Amino acid sequence: MDKFFEQLPGFVDEIKTLKEIIITNIVLIGQTPAPTFREKKRSKVFMERLAEFQVDEVTTDGYRNPIGIIRGTDAGKPPIFILAHLDTFYERDLAINYVIKKNTITGAGILDNSLGVGVLTSLPAIFKKLDLRFESDIVLAGTIQSIGKGNLRGVRHLLKTWPTPIRGGICIEGIELGRLNYYSDGMIRGEIGCSISDERGKLEEYTPNAIIILNEVINQIMSLRMPQRPRSRIVIGKISGGANHGKIAHEGGIGFEIHSDSYKMVKKTFGDIRDIIEGLGHEYEVDLNLRTISNLRASRLKYTHPLVKNAAAILKTLGIKPFSKSTESALSIFLSNKIPAVTLGITHGVGHYKEKATMEIEPMYQGIAQIIGVIKAIDSGVCDEQQLA
Amino acid sequence: MNNNWLEKNTFHYSDFKDLGRLVEEKAKKDLKISLCLPTLNEEKTIAKEIIILKSELMTRYALLDEIVVVDSGSTDKTTEIARAYGADVYDAAEILPQLEPYKGKGENLWKALYITQGDIIIYLDADIKNIHHRFAYGLLGPLLMDDHIKFVKAFYDRPISIGKNKMRPTGGGRVTELVIRPLFSLFFPELTQLIQPLSGEYAGFREVFERIPFPIGYGVETSMNMDIYEKWGLDVIAQVDLDRRIHRNQDTKALGRMAFSILKTFINRKIRLGLIDLRDELFDEMIQYNLVNNKYQPDIFKIEGHERPPIIEIPEYREKFKIDREHIQKLQEA
Repeated sequence: MDKFFEQLPGFVDEIKTLKEIIITNIVLIGQTPAPTFREKKRSKVFMERLAEFQVDEVTTDGYRNPIGIIRGTDAGKPPIFILAHLDTFYERDLAINYVIKKNTITGAGILDNSLGVGVLTSLPAIFKKLDLRFESDIVLAGTIQSIGKGNLRGVRHLLKTWPTPIRGGICIEGIELGRLNYYSDGMIRGEIGCSISDERGKLEEYTPNAIIILNEVINQIMSLRMPQRPRSRIVIGKISGGANHGKIAHEGGIGFEIHSDSYKMVKKTFGDIRDIIEGLGHEYEVDLNLRTISNLRASRLKYTHPLVKNAAAILKTLGIKPFSKSTESALSIFLSNKIPAVTLGITHGVGHYKEKATMEIEPMYQGIAQIIGVIKAIDSGVCDEQQLA
Repeated sequence: MNNNWLEKNTFHYSDFKDLGRLVEEKAKKDLKISLCLPTLNEEKTIAKEIIILKSELMTRYALLDEIVVVDSGSTDKTTEIARAYGADVYDAAEILPQLEPYKGKGENLWKALYITQGDIIIYLDADIKNIHHRFAYGLLGPLLMDDHIKFVKAFYDRPISIGKNKMRPTGGGRVTELVIRPLFSLFFPELTQLIQPLSGEYAGFREVFERIPFPIGYGVETSMNMDIYEKWGLDVIAQVDLDRRIHRNQDTKALGRMAFSILKTFINRKIRLGLIDLRDELFDEMIQYNLVNNKYQPDIFKIEGHERPPIIEIPEYREKFKIDREHIQKLQEA
C-alpha cells in the first residue's frame, strides 16, 4: 500500500496527458441539461460515454440511475462504489455552453456537479492509462434525483436494492479540493407556504400580506434557542412571494433546513417550527402550511476509521491539505446503510451557484489522483474490518 | 433538373457514428486528414473545439492527422489558447508571405491548403458553441464511405424530413433564404437542393479545393458551391445533417454586408461563365445608414471582393506538393 501511495504524485502528470478526454467528458456531460427529475438526456450521455470507454457493463438500476461496472479480479470481493449526482440545481432548461480558457472552464452547473460526473466517466480511461486493475468490481454511478426535492432518491434506491454487500464508497463533488467529508449532520429540509384567498382581498380593507406574515414566521424561528451541544442550527435559504411592487402579496414561501449532530434535536426543532406555523396561521386566519422536502439521520465515520485516516494520508501525500465538515448528501445515505464512505472534492472554483461558475483546470489532476488513491485504499481492505461507529 | 440528388446524397451524421469503421476506411485508402479552423478573435470557443476534436478524433480514434488554426490577426487570446491546447497555429499573413496579404475567412481557407498535409481537408468555423465531434466525422463519413463523393457540406436543425412528404418551413439562415436561394432558383435550380449552401462547415478532397479559386471574404462558400458544381457536377457533392449548431447571431447590418459580398461573388461568377453581361463595372462599397443626432449618416464599407486563384497555380504550392505542370495539364484536359 505504502508503495502505491508513493506512486501517486507521479500519477498526476500521467493523468494530465488525458486532459483532452477528461475535459471533453466534462463539457459533453455538462452541456446536457439535467434539472432534478429530468435527468434522462444526461443519463443517456453518461451511459454512451462509459460504453465508448469499454466499461464491462453499462446499464441502469431499477430506478434508472445509470451505472457502469468495471469487473474486478476477485469475484469474491464486494464492489466499490464511486458516484456523482447527475442532476443540476438549474430548474429550467438553460442553454448551457461552457467556455474553456487556458486554465479555467466556465458555465452553469460545472461545479455542482458536471465536473464530478465528467471525471467519473473519465475514470475507465484513466485506469487504463495507469494500468490499474482492482480486486473489487468498480461501480461508477451517476445518481439521479439528488438535489432539493429529489431528496437523494436515486442513491437511496441504488444502495438499498444493490444485491450484494458494498465494500466502500466515494462520492465525488466538483469542489473543493481538500474536502474530506466523513460525517453527516441530521437534517430536515422543509418549506413553509403562506396563501391568502382572493376573496379576502375583495372583502377586507386590510388584507393580510403573505410576505409580512412570513416575516413574522422568520422572526419567531430566529428566536428559537438553538443549543451548542448537540451542535444545531437553522438555515433559511430560499424565499419567494408576491406579484407586484404595489400589490398585497397573496402567496409566499420560504425554504429552510435544520441541521444538528442529533437527529432527535432536528425533530424537536421541526416540532417547534410546526407550533409557530399553527399559532400564526390561527392568529392571522391565513393558510400557513409546513412541508418536509427531505430528511437525513446523522451518521458518521470516526476520524480514526482506517478509510478516513488513509484518505487523509493520501491527500497529504499529494500536497493537499485535508479539511472536514458535515455534508448532507449521498455520503449520509452510504453511512446510514453502514457502508464506509467519504466525499472528495476535485478542484478549486468560484461562483458555485452562478451561471458563470468557474473551475480551475490544473488542480483537477491532483483531485483525480486522490480519488484513485482512495479507491486503491478501499481495494486494499481499509474498509473490510472496522464496523461503522 | 436532377431531383434525386437530395434523396441520394443527403445523410445524417448518425449514419457514420461507427468511428472504428471510418478509421478502417481511412487506413485502407491510405489517406491523411487535416482539420482547419479559421479564426479571428474566437477566444471563447476555440479551446473547446480543439479539445473535443482532439480527444475524440485524434486520441481515441485516429481519424485526424492534424488540427491547424489559421488566424487573421486576432487581438484577443485566440492564438495563445489554441497553442496551449496543442493546435498548430499560423498567422495567415505569414503563409506565402511573398503574396500581397488579404484579410478574410476565404484567405485563411486558401492558405490552409498550403500548410496542411491532408488528402482530405475539413473546414469548421471556430465559433461553434455546441461543438461536438459529429461536426467533423459527419462530414468525413460520405468522403470515406462513398468513392464518388468529393465535397460535403453541413446543414443543421433537421429542416426537412426526406421521404415522408413532410416539408418543414425553414432551410438556411436569413441570407440563404433571402439572397442565395432566390439566386439559385433563378440560375441554378439544381443547387437549391443544398439545404444550407452558406454553412461554414464543409470537407473535401485536396484535389478539389486546390483547383478552385477562393474569394477572400464571405463569398467563399457561394463560389465553392458554384465552382465545384460547374467543374464536377452535383453528384460529387453530398450534404450531412449535423443536427443543431449554436453560434453567434449577427445583426441585420452585418448580414447586409455578407449579402453584398455574396451577390458580388455570384454576379462575377455569372459573368465569367458568360451567362450575363454587365454594361458597367460593379461598385465595391456597401452603403448603410445610421441616424446620428437626427441626421442620417452613411456608413460605407469597402468590400473589394479579391479572389485567390486555384492554389495549384501557385509555384510554391506545386513545389511543396511535387506537382508538375504536365500533371495540371492532364487534369485540365480530363
